Amino acid sequence: MSRGEFDVIVIGAGHAGCEAAYAAARLGVRVGLCTLSTDTVAQMPCNPAVGGTAKGHLVREIDALGGLMGRAIDATGIQFKLLNRSRGPAVWSPRAQADKRAYGRWMRDALDREPNVEWLIGKAGRILAANGRITGLALEDGDSYACRSIVVTTGTFLNGLIHIGLEQLPAGRHGEPPSRDLAESLKAIGFEWGRLKTGTPPRLARESIDFARHVAEGRFQLERGDATPVPFSFLSNPIEREQIDCWLIHTNDRVRDIVRANVDRSPLFNGQISGIGPRYCPSLEDKIIRFPDRERHQIFLEPEGVSAREIYVNGFSMSLPRDVQTDLVHALPGLEDAVLLRPGYAVEYDFVQPTELTRRLETKRVAGLFLAGQINGTSGYEEAAAQGLIAGVNAAHRAGAGPGLELGRDEAYIGILVDDLITKGCLEPYRMFTSRAEHRLLLRIDNADMRLTPRGRAAGLVDDQRWEGFEARHARFARNLVVLDETIVKSPAGDSIPASHLLRQPETRLADLIAAGQLPQFALDRLQPSLDVASAETAVKYAGYLKRQESEIERARRDERRRIPRDFPFERVPGLSREVVHRLRQVQPDTLGQALRIPGVTPAAVAVLGAYVGRLAPGVRA
Amino acid sequence: MRFSTEDTIVAIATPPGRGGIGVVRLSGPDAHPLACALIGRERPLAPRHATFATIRLKDGDPTGPADAIDHAVVTLFPAPHSYTGDDVVEISAHGSPVVLHAIVAAAMAAGARHAEPGEFTLRAFLNGRIDLMQAEAVADLIDAVTPLQARAAFDQLDGTLTRAIAEIDASLFDVVARLEASVDFPEEGYHFVDPGAVSGELDGVLEKTEALLRDARRGRMVRDGLLVVIVGEPNVGKSSLFNALVGSARAIVTDVPGTTRDLVSELVDLQGLRVTLVDTAGLRAVRDVVEAEGVARARQSAGVADLVLRVEDLSQPRADSMDLPSSSVGKVLCVANKADLPAAWRAPGVVEVSAATGAGLDALRNGIAAALDADLQRDRPSITNVRHVALVERAHAALLRARTAVSANASLSEEFVLADLADARAALEEISGRRTSDDLLTHIFARFCVGK
Repeated sequence: MSRGEFDVIVIGAGHAGCEAAYAAARLGVRVGLCTLSTDTVAQMPCNPAVGGTAKGHLVREIDALGGLMGRAIDATGIQFKLLNRSRGPAVWSPRAQADKRAYGRWMRDALDREPNVEWLIGKAGRILAANGRITGLALEDGDSYACRSIVVTTGTFLNGLIHIGLEQLPAGRHGEPPSRDLAESLKAIGFEWGRLKTGTPPRLARESIDFARHVAEGRFQLERGDATPVPFSFLSNPIEREQIDCWLIHTNDRVRDIVRANVDRSPLFNGQISGIGPRYCPSLEDKIIRFPDRERHQIFLEPEGVSAREIYVNGFSMSLPRDVQTDLVHALPGLEDAVLLRPGYAVEYDFVQPTELTRRLETKRVAGLFLAGQINGTSGYEEAAAQGLIAGVNAAHRAGAGPGLELGRDEAYIGILVDDLITKGCLEPYRMFTSRAEHRLLLRIDNADMRLTPRGRAAGLVDDQRWEGFEARHARFARNLVVLDETIVKSPAGDSIPASHLLRQPETRLADLIAAGQLPQFALDRLQPSLDVASAETAVKYAGYLKRQESEIERARRDERRRIPRDFPFERVPGLSREVVHRLRQVQPDTLGQALRIPGVTPAAVAVLGAYVGRLAPGVRA
Repeated sequence: MRFSTEDTIVAIATPPGRGGIGVVRLSGPDAHPLACALIGRERPLAPRHATFATIRLKDGDPTGPADAIDHAVVTLFPAPHSYTGDDVVEISAHGSPVVLHAIVAAAMAAGARHAEPGEFTLRAFLNGRIDLMQAEAVADLIDAVTPLQARAAFDQLDGTLTRAIAEIDASLFDVVARLEASVDFPEEGYHFVDPGAVSGELDGVLEKTEALLRDARRGRMVRDGLLVVIVGEPNVGKSSLFNALVGSARAIVTDVPGTTRDLVSELVDLQGLRVTLVDTAGLRAVRDVVEAEGVARARQSAGVADLVLRVEDLSQPRADSMDLPSSSVGKVLCVANKADLPAAWRAPGVVEVSAATGAGLDALRNGIAAALDADLQRDRPSITNVRHVALVERAHAALLRARTAVSANASLSEEFVLADLADARAALEEISGRRTSDDLLTHIFARFCVGK
């Protein structure tokens, strides 16, 4: 029976769902956020951390656009590290351990404060559509709600199946039931489906491990955060809370022998699992069996919160039987008496081939139906959140609010993420890497705001407070470049030269010049002064590199500007092979540039296509 | 240019004019039935079999009887194992332009379309039979004037350059992969690559691009031909030598000094090199306006020559101070003519010849080829295309930047090196045609003549 009406309904309150609901709500539409329970909002079912290489960039971009994730982790992070600090600013990537429970609570509170978000507690059952458009959502209990668009963010819940040794449990996450009706309802629409697999390691009881002793006796290596944390959000104050310790240990021969002796009981190796797992995040079984030459593997022991009982055994994900898992933990140095709170497991789940989606993450088959997160074949909280934001803005647009948002490969990692998904589809869980970015030197954490805050503002996501802060920073950046050109400083050789010339020498650091009082005119932000330093220094020091990448972008844009109309009759272009026509019809690229990136579509085929785009009108015979 | 492989195209494949044999080529889905209709054959042709047939064409009235106009050998190459990748039929008739045009007209009347310039090769490219580099080589091969040119073009068609580029790209790919891993997996406890090893590998790649560029100069000479200019004082026998090298009395020869007043040039094949040989006015102070202009032109052409032949008279005492121009771009070879007369002087490094008797001419030809350093070796890929040279130069420059970036005193980290390496790879990929745009294609294929 009909219970009410929303503009947008978001199914799932994980990392994708929270950003989607928040983004849509910011645009002023009424959002129903459908979840099984408000206790599991923004849960981290796997590692208790946000960020990492390229993922940190994604979080920064979500924040620059006005999303939640950056502020959430800054507020609840318990150990912060800037990865790649020894390298250049383009690959600096923030990563932080989260207090899992605090993170979920912060996110729930943030959504609670949004008057446009209403919790819809229940289990989504059926997508309601008429004439190719979304009309509403029916819950499994029979209640239904009318709406104009739906964002599906079901994570690993669609026909989720957990494997622990030979045991199999239908579940979306540990202890939570899978979504079957919703899976059926989505399948009835006719999407191309696939099945993926991911896994998580065992959790240990903190009180069963004597960390201090093992550190003192050299078994555990202490892993500390940065002395001065670099925040994820452009809005955050300096982070001064006390940080926790983590510990590094290594696998040994005993671990190897136990895995080898029990590999026939691993669902990954006995044929029980058909879903494809991520190569970049191998299970322990994979590490031992597929990389026999590697003597030992790193294992990090990470507390799941300041006062949480669970210790996350990072690098030790597996799906072996419980007894084997206990033996394996006890085989690790210092963990001989550790208590296993929960075994690791592998989970298989259904996903929709993202080639079914447009650049707005809307399905091509049903207008108003958006998909975000693991349902699109990705892995990772950050990848999910980024898609959630894009889907949320565009779902609101479908419901009549805002102009929508599409990002290009040359302006954001989020643009690369979406373009890769919709162009190439997924053969394994998709994770972001900096190497996926053609113009990596331009997509930095320090300039995420300059790249994207104006885009977020135009989309209706960026509020006045963020916008004013951004305008001030942008003006400061421009002024600081002039200051560097106009201030004369002394070089180590004793010459008087402009500061910008001195900065081009590899060994000169802008921070040192400022600290030495050589640049009194250089303006610094009160909250995050290091940002101003990084942006100005990069612009001057690496000017040659940045310029080359900018001109490459200009070249690439020529192909991106050649639009292919929607419903273009690829089958009527002469000279294209059947396979190429099939790929083109499946992906329906919107530009020649995108067509070039489709696997199996040759440059020659795109050249032919280019000759016919504009000559063949959709629905008109050539 | 039509980017279509759906219809059937036809054209004469042999050069215009009369010849012993003329070939008409058909390519496309209807090539086979069209050819059968032209020879009045009801059974299909056997693939790759030379079939003797009689061409019968209807004259005027389409319902009237067909007249036999010529005997021909017809061969079917079924798709995809043909030059274009389509069904191809080649009709070898007698080389009368009238007959060949009649066959083409009949094929067109039956539904074939006249091929546009380069369209057969375009189809081969579109059907994936050849890559862009090979497509360009076809144009060079057909334009080749000398055997050496043909060989250089054939090497490229054969894929020697494709392989050389692929090899460079493969070694770069490995370095790139390891550098990317260092950036994306900084905390894995892995040491993916160390800077010393990267420098070493980049040096190896740089050697290869350098070798390609070195050969490019040689390749350009083979492809575009060379300018060899004969200079010298009046009456030393420049024009006689010119005629001897050309092999005909192209230039006027008299005993009167200053007979040659303007530049006389002829295209000759010298040891396989395509050489434009230029005879010039004798260099002396003159009052005659016309001759003075001739002397100025002589100096000018010598200035841009790849090789200057400085001719002197062996039978007369050697002039002490010869104000002879030398090439600003090429080399100079000294030649002493009139070796059939008693020698008045001798000097090392001077080639002695007699234009009158032909003595020493072979040594001179060898000397010219050696001076031009164009001894092409078969297994060495040479870049003969200006576009390719520019791209290899771009790749080379990017590699040099990468090499500088990894050096200790630049202290730039992996992502900068990777940006340079990405530039290098982009340039190389543009050569092998993986990043082409349709403009580029149009440009390249417009160079072709019909029916290749």
